Amino acid sequence: MIRIAAVGDVHMDQDVMGRFRPALEELPEHADVLLLAGDLTRHGAESEARCVAQEFGNLGVPVITVLGNHEHQCDQVPQVVKVLEDAGITVLEGTGIVVECPGGRLGVAGVKGFGGGFAGRCASDFGEPEMKSFVHTTNESAEALGKALRGLDCDLLVALTHYSPVPDTLAGEPLEIYPFLGCYQLGQAIDSAPTALALHGHAHHGSERGTTPGGVRVRNVAHPVIKQAYSIFHLGDHLIG
Amino acid sequence: MTEQHGGDAAAPDEYVEAEIQRLLAEDPSVAEQGITVVRRERGLVLYGEVESPHRREEILRRVAERFPDVPVMSDIGVIRAQAPSQVEELP
Repeated sequence: MIRIAAVGDVHMDQDVMGRFRPALEELPEHADVLLLAGDLTRHGAESEARCVAQEFGNLGVPVITVLGNHEHQCDQVPQVVKVLEDAGITVLEGTGIVVECPGGRLGVAGVKGFGGGFAGRCASDFGEPEMKSFVHTTNESAEALGKALRGLDCDLLVALTHYSPVPDTLAGEPLEIYPFLGCYQLGQAIDSAPTALALHGHAHHGSERGTTPGGVRVRNVAHPVIKQAYSIFHLGDHLIG
Repeated sequence: MTEQHGGDAAAPDEYVEAEIQRLLAEDPSVAEQGITVVRRERGLVLYGEVESPHRREEILRRVAERFPDVPVMSDIGVIRAQAPSQVEELP
């Protein structure tokens, strides 16, 4: 069995330092790894990334993250990534990593993802350059995720995104903003590999559970949705350990 | 519900609702995309959850500053951050 802890949308800054730490101190007893589903900061400032590094670094288990849209607000993405990586946090963007856990090899592929909407109600690669650019971003992001997922050699495969791959976990959000919260292409990428679980954040008013059209379980782990420091998932009963 | 602002002003219209929604996301001292603005007969209600009491106060302060005549009620909570008491088994 592999034990995965996950949370997204923690929006760290000076004013909330230490809030997660008591729960994080006991995390290594209950989980093999912590996955962060983006929106770690409020504005993507380097100073806020240092708060993330202090709060979520040095946990005693591997910490793996994707960035969220908030990490792009200040145009300091390279600095944010460096601060996180210096703290030992792995940042995925169209990439993957295999973690040796007591229960087996956990593969995590991640991408921020993008909006675009869901089957039958999505943006098309047509018309103005701005619209085409929007959809190209969606497509490229999903293709990068699919490639990263299919490239991992592991016992259990997990997809980590900020934007949602399915509409199921958006239930509770206004229908009108679904195209800004996720896209079906991410779901298609997840279904292109033997993915066991897909985790995302971003939709603060969404709901916890869903599945892709291919039957992969999806969980929205945005902090306002799970209402606890992190959720824990046990997977891979077939694995030894 | 807490922190009522404003008084006898006319009920806010859709444009005010839209401006406040954008203010919440775009104002650097707020930067919240997860707050819902609901227009009611006698003013606006703000729903949602934030990470600290300070952020909740800042939301109300900025909205009141920008729209001093709009009655605003807040039902914004602070998200709990305790360790989970249960795990989800995914066989």
